[in-house]
Amino acid sequence: MNLDPRSVPYRIFDNGFRIVAATVFWGFASSGDGMDVRSLLLFFVAVLGIAIGWQIAYVRRYEYRVTADTFDIRSGVISRREREIPFERIQNVDIAQNVVQRALGIAEVRLETAGGNATEATLRYVSRREASRLQELISDRKRSDASPEGSREETGDVLFELDQRELGILGVTSANFRLLGLILVGLSFVGSPVAAREISPRVGLFLLLGPAFAAVGLVILWIASGVQAVFRYYGFRLTRHGEELRYERGLLQQYTGTIPLSKIQTLMIRENVLARAAGYGSLVIETAGYSPGQGGSDVESAVPIAERDRVLELARSIENVGDIPFARPPRRARVRYVARYTIVVGVITAILGAIHLWTDELPYWYLGSGLWLLVPIAAHLKWAHLGYYVDEDYVVTRSGFWTRRTTVVPIYRVQTVLDSQTVFQRRRDLGTLVVDTATSGGFWGGDAVALDVDVETARTLRERIHDRFQEAVRERQDRLFRERERESEHGRESPVNG
Amino acid sequence: MSDGGDDRTESGRERGSAGVAVERERRRVDPSEYTTDRRSLSPRVQINWAVRTTVTAVVVGLIATFALRAFDLDPRIGGVLTAVLVLLGFVWVVLHYRIWVYQIQDDAIYLERGVLTHVRTLVPYVRIQHVDTSRGPVERTLGLSTLVVYTAGSRGADVSIPGLTPEEASDLQQRVKQLAIEAEGDDAL
Repeated sequence: MNLDPRSVPYRIFDNGFRIVAATVFWGFASSGDGMDVRSLLLFFVAVLGIAIGWQIAYVRRYEYRVTADTFDIRSGVISRREREIPFERIQNVDIAQNVVQRALGIAEVRLETAGGNATEATLRYVSRREASRLQELISDRKRSDASPEGSREETGDVLFELDQRELGILGVTSANFRLLGLILVGLSFVGSPVAAREISPRVGLFLLLGPAFAAVGLVILWIASGVQAVFRYYGFRLTRHGEELRYERGLLQQYTGTIPLSKIQTLMIRENVLARAAGYGSLVIETAGYSPGQGGSDVESAVPIAERDRVLELARSIENVGDIPFARPPRRARVRYVARYTIVVGVITAILGAIHLWTDELPYWYLGSGLWLLVPIAAHLKWAHLGYYVDEDYVVTRSGFWTRRTTVVPIYRVQTVLDSQTVFQRRRDLGTLVVDTATSGGFWGGDAVALDVDVETARTLRERIHDRFQEAVRERQDRLFRERERESEHGRESPVNG
Repeated sequence: MSDGGDDRTESGRERGSAGVAVERERRRVDPSEYTTDRRSLSPRVQINWAVRTTVTAVVVGLIATFALRAFDLDPRIGGVLTAVLVLLGFVWVVLHYRIWVYQIQDDAIYLERGVLTHVRTLVPYVRIQHVDTSRGPVERTLGLSTLVVYTAGSRGADVSIPGLTPEEASDLQQRVKQLAIEAEGDDAL
């Protein structure tokens, strides 16, 4: 099958800026002997012609085919590429549509596998109906591989639907507080005295200008991130189709994606300060090497916002982790944070002092040390939000005050287990336990990290998780083996990796 | 979760025979043939690391010297800084060597390393995707080799054992390969 012919105009439009840029560049390059409008126009038409020809050739030469167990793609105008992707290896099928694409009725289809961070195949573009058909078809093929009986549910159960109220709460609570806090501190400290003197050297009232700027900046950023979140998650719906979760969302850029239940590596519950205060949280589902809808470093939520109980309930319907009685790190960890933050305050004060020495600004630089009053509170808050829990089937860890992240790792998804101790931790007999999983990693990663637990506890937990993991693998193998045996007795094909 | 029909309804006899078969399949090779005791690296790896830290120290020292000159300060401080860094590098190398321990256990590779941050890692064989040996130019002149073990984890490439003789490296590669085949996990990705 081929791409939709309507993708030709869109692709040209998409490359339009490049054509314009080439023309402008050529115009500048030849401007030495006077701008010649006619030759410029000619050049533009020539480039446009080449672009149109190329895009038509690209679209015509792009073929895809659905065989019994692979998805084949043949593409390339000059150098040809053939790619076969086994259905069972396809993890996610995502469909994206922006406003222009919606007007044209075309959509982009992305096929993701576990290998690497890059998308395995991208169809740019097919018709909207064809995109849905492919999504349906691929999940069908996968299903028939996994369970021969194949329960065919066409509509799927709705697990979660974002209503207007929740969308509003999402907008309000989706500010990035770490960034905002930083801007606030920076502006009110450096900004105020300088700005005050610039405007009026006499009026002391202008000393408040810095904090005022910061407050305005804060509100603007808050609104911007809120609006962005609302646009992004408008009309969010999470449904379950057999062995797959499917979600759709977006106001301008519409997005549909799938999450295969059998490929889920970790679950993460995220609650930032505001959401936590309102009793809300979000759920992130990570699959191997890829988390759904991930564009760049952005991690997308499987449930963007819901009441905390609801989030936990949804998480439990995916991974049946029971109650989570978190254990906290020992109290001496808190002392460690006091020490750490004291150093930070010291450094900030020193920097302010240095600025004073060099520029004569900031006569009250030593007031920076007053920040120390916040240190015990900050240390306590950091400590209070840490926690870990290990049982027979799950490792759960929690950390973060601004955004609290609770990571649930099923033990049989463990890749490696390690415990580490920095120089500073060694002084207080503390250690960090890291349970690595096959998620995409990234800055926040899907790894479960138990920070600053007692070093002996970290070591025993490492051993315990490892032993339990080996048991879990054996249980899984036994079950697969028995299943295979039963299958062969019935004269059926062996199942592939449930 | 997705793991289809649970077979608790099966008759006891059937389950018993399947269990025996599973057991037989699992114990084809005795893993203890492949395990090792706790081993440290070849002492020559210290030369390799020392080369690296010295090069880094010299580069940092040069940058510092130019920076000092730009600020009209005595550039000789840069020389002192370089010397200190080189010395610190040597101390680090010796400590790093003393701390490094690896062991091929019967169900996982165990690694212990790190001076400033001490790390102990367990890599289950079931999770191993492939095993490489690699030799950089300095390693080649010193007759050393590095074993790199890949898992699907996000910290996959972290698992490598440097400072092995080529024979040791290929021997370890064989052992790990056998144990990984033996473990034959479904990939669970």
